[in-house]
Amino acid sequence: MKISRRTKGAAALAGVAAFALLATGCSSGGSSASSTGNSTDPITLSVTTFGTMGYDDLYKQYEQLHPNITINATNIDTGDNAKTDWQTKEAAGAGLPDVQAVEEGWLSAVMQVSDQFNDLSQYGANDIKDRWVPWKLAQATDAKGRIIGYGSDIGPEGLCYNSKDFAAAGLPTDRDQVAALFGGDNATWADYFKIGAQYKAATGKAFYDQSGFIWNAMVNQLKEGYYKTDGSLNVDGNAQLEALWTQLASATSSGLSANQTAWDWGKGKAFTDGSFSTFVCPGWMLGVVKGQVTSAGGDATSGWDFANVFPGGAANWGGSFLTVPTQSKHPQEAADLAAFLTNAQSQAAAFGVAGTFPSVTAAQTDPAVTGTNALSTFFNNAPIGTILAARAKNVVAQYKGPDDSVIQSQVFGPAIQEIDSGKADGPTAWNDAITLLNQLVVNK
Amino acid sequence: MTATLTPPQEQKPAAAAPATKPKVPFKHRLNRFDVKASPYFYIAPFFILFGLVGLFPLGYTFVVSLNKWNLLTGPGGFVGLANYGAELTDPFFWNSLFNTVSIFLLSAIPQLVIAVLIAAVLDQNIRNKTFWRMSVLIPYVVTPVAVTLIFSSAFDEKYGAINNLLQFFHLNPVMWKTETFPSHVAIATMVNWRWTGYNALILLAAMQAVPRDIYESAALDGAGAIRRFFSMTLPSIRPTMIFVIVTATVGGLQIFTEPKLFNPTTATPGGPQRQYQTTVLYLWDLAFNRQNFGKASAVAWMLFLIIVLFGVLNFVIGRRIASTEARSSKRKTAKVLAAYNTQKIDNEAAGALALTAAAEEKRS
Repeated sequence: MKISRRTKGAAALAGVAAFALLATGCSSGGSSASSTGNSTDPITLSVTTFGTMGYDDLYKQYEQLHPNITINATNIDTGDNAKTDWQTKEAAGAGLPDVQAVEEGWLSAVMQVSDQFNDLSQYGANDIKDRWVPWKLAQATDAKGRIIGYGSDIGPEGLCYNSKDFAAAGLPTDRDQVAALFGGDNATWADYFKIGAQYKAATGKAFYDQSGFIWNAMVNQLKEGYYKTDGSLNVDGNAQLEALWTQLASATSSGLSANQTAWDWGKGKAFTDGSFSTFVCPGWMLGVVKGQVTSAGGDATSGWDFANVFPGGAANWGGSFLTVPTQSKHPQEAADLAAFLTNAQSQAAAFGVAGTFPSVTAAQTDPAVTGTNALSTFFNNAPIGTILAARAKNVVAQYKGPDDSVIQSQVFGPAIQEIDSGKADGPTAWNDAITLLNQLVVNK
Repeated sequence: MTATLTPPQEQKPAAAAPATKPKVPFKHRLNRFDVKASPYFYIAPFFILFGLVGLFPLGYTFVVSLNKWNLLTGPGGFVGLANYGAELTDPFFWNSLFNTVSIFLLSAIPQLVIAVLIAAVLDQNIRNKTFWRMSVLIPYVVTPVAVTLIFSSAFDEKYGAINNLLQFFHLNPVMWKTETFPSHVAIATMVNWRWTGYNALILLAAMQAVPRDIYESAALDGAGAIRRFFSMTLPSIRPTMIFVIVTATVGGLQIFTEPKLFNPTTATPGGPQRQYQTTVLYLWDLAFNRQNFGKASAVAWMLFLIIVLFGVLNFVIGRRIASTEARSSKRKTAKVLAAYNTQKIDNEAAGALALTAAAEEKRS
C-alpha cells in the first residue's frame, strides 16, 4: 500500500493531537469561577440523596422561588451505596455535591472528618436551630461544637404486629390493647419475650423475624452503647450489654426467631406467610413493610398494624442529615437549600410522599403528618404520625464511636447469625463476638 | 549440495568515503524521522493510558501499602512492611485465600471440561450452526449482576426454587448461603454459567482450525470418533487450551461480583461468618467498611503477586506440556527409526544368510 505524503502528515498530526488530548484530559475540571455572593448569578447546585427522601417536588418548588438556581439532583438506591459513594469522593478529595445527605448509621465516619464539612452556623444555622428536636441537633454537632448538618427525618421506633396472627394466638388485636399488653409506657424486653413465649406455645410459630433488629434496638436504648461518652470501647466486660445478650439469646434459642434474612425476607413472602408476627418499626420502616408485603402479593388485608409501644422504652433507629461539604463552591446557597428542605412545611410534605418522620417539632403536629395517608390506610388506619410523635418523646442521642458500624455489622452480625441459626448458644456467640472485636477493632 | 543460503557479501567500495558528509536535505531528514519515530507515536496512546490507569495505580497502591492509611483521614505514618506482616498472620486473609482457591477450582475444572465437550459437539456437522453457537454465548452477554440476582433467589435457603425442589423430593434443604462448601458450589455455578459458553466458543475456533484432511485419513486408518478426539483434536488445540486456562485463572482469582451480590444484605460481605469471602471481597471490605486503606493495599499487592505466580506456573506447565510433546515425538521417531534400522540390519543379515545358503546350495 502506498501512503501519500499528505496522509502521513495527517496521521502524524492525529497522533500528536491524541497525545495532547490525553495529557490535557487528566487535568480538566476545576476551572469554573467560584461565585462571590451575588444572589442573581445563575447557579447550579448538586444534591446527592439516597433511598426515598421525597424531595422531588420540593426541588421544583425551590427552583420556582429562586429562578437563578438550578438543582441537579442524584438519588442513590440505598444508604450503604451512598456511603461508599461519599467515602470514595471524600478520599479522592473531589466530586462531592453541594448538598450531601448523610445517614445516621455512618454519621460516626463523617464525624472523623467533620472539618471537611462547612460549619452551618456561619450560614444561618443559629437562627433556625430551635426547629429540631434537641437530640437531633446534638447528633449533627461535632466535638468542636460546629453544626455540620441539618436534620431531615428521624426513626422513632414503634411495634408492628400482625393482628390476624395475634387473633389466631388468642392475643388482643386492637392496637391500644396490644400496647397495654406489652406494658404501655413501662414495656420491657422481658415482657416482650414472655408474650413471645405464649405466642409460640399457642401457634408453634416464631415471634420476630430475626434477632438483629432487636439487638440493634436494645443497644440503641442504652445510655452508652458500644462506646463510652469519653470515646473508649465499652463492649468487653460490659455486664449490662452481656445481660441483654443473654436475654436475647435464650429467647432466640427457644424458637422465637424466624431466622429470616433481613432486608430480603424471601422477597417479602415472610411477611405474608405468618413466619413471624411482630416487627421492629422505626418510622421509615413502615414504608419498607408495605413494600415487602406488596411485593409478595399482599395488601392492607394482610393484617399488619402499628402499636404505640416499644419494649425497653423510647428508641431511635436511623434518620438523615443534609450537609454541605467544604468542596462546595456555593456554601451559602447550598446551606439555604438545605434549610429549605428541612423546614417544617417541607418535612411534612416529604412525610406524605416517603413516610420519613420529621425531626422538626412543628412538622410533627402538622395535619399532613397526623392525618391519614396511603401508609396509614395500609396499617389498618393506624394514626401513624401521632403514634410516631409519641414514640419520639424521651429519645436520647447516644454517642457513636468511629467503629460503631463495624461493631454492629461485623462483630455482632456474625454472632447474631450464630444464635439465630442455632450454630452456637448465647455464651459461645458472645465469646466469638469478643474475639472478633479484638481482631477487627482493638488490634486493627 | 553446496549451494549457500547466505547472500554474497556486498563488496565495499574501493574508494575511501569522501571527507565531507553530503548535505541531506531537510525533506529527507524529516522523512527518515517519520519512518523511524512515528510508529512509536502511533502506539503511544495505549502506553500512556496503560501508564495512567495501570502502572501508576500499581505503584501508588504499593506506596499506600507501606503506610498506615485511613480511607477518610489519610496517611498516618510510614510502617514499612508491617501491613504485609499483619495480613500474613490474619486468619481472615488466609480464609479469603482458601475461599478464592476453592471457588476457583470448583469453577475452572468443570467449566473447562464442559466447554471442551460443548465445543466438540458444536464442531460436528449440525444444523443451524449459528443458532447453537449464539445460544451458548447468551449467558456471557447477560450482565453478572442480573445473573447473580436470579441465582441468589434460586439458591435462597428458605424460599429458593432449589431448596423447594429438594424438599419436594423429601430431601434436606441445603444451607447454600451460610455453609462453606454449599456456598462455594453455588458461586462456582454462577461463574460456570457465565464463562462456559465463552470458553467453548474460543475452543471451537481452535478446533475449526484443525485441518479436516487429517481427520479423514485417520478415519480411513480406522480411528473412531473418540480416538480422533483424544489423539488429534485435544493435542491440536493445546495452545488455545493454555490461553483459556490462563485467562480462567486470572479471572477466577479475582471473583468479586458473584460473592458480593450473592447475599447482599448480610452484615459481613461474603457470608455471615465469611464463608465465601474471596480475597478481592476481603480487600474491598478492608478498604470501604473497615477504612483500612494501608492493609487493603497490602492485600491487593499480595493478590497481584499470587496471580503473577499462578500465571508463571501456568506458563511453565504449558511449555513443559508442549516440549514433552516435542520430546516424546522425537523419542518416538527415534524409536521407530531404530526399530526400522535394526529390522533392516536383520533383513540384510537374513538376506546375506539366504544368499550364502543359496550359494552353498548351488555349490552342492
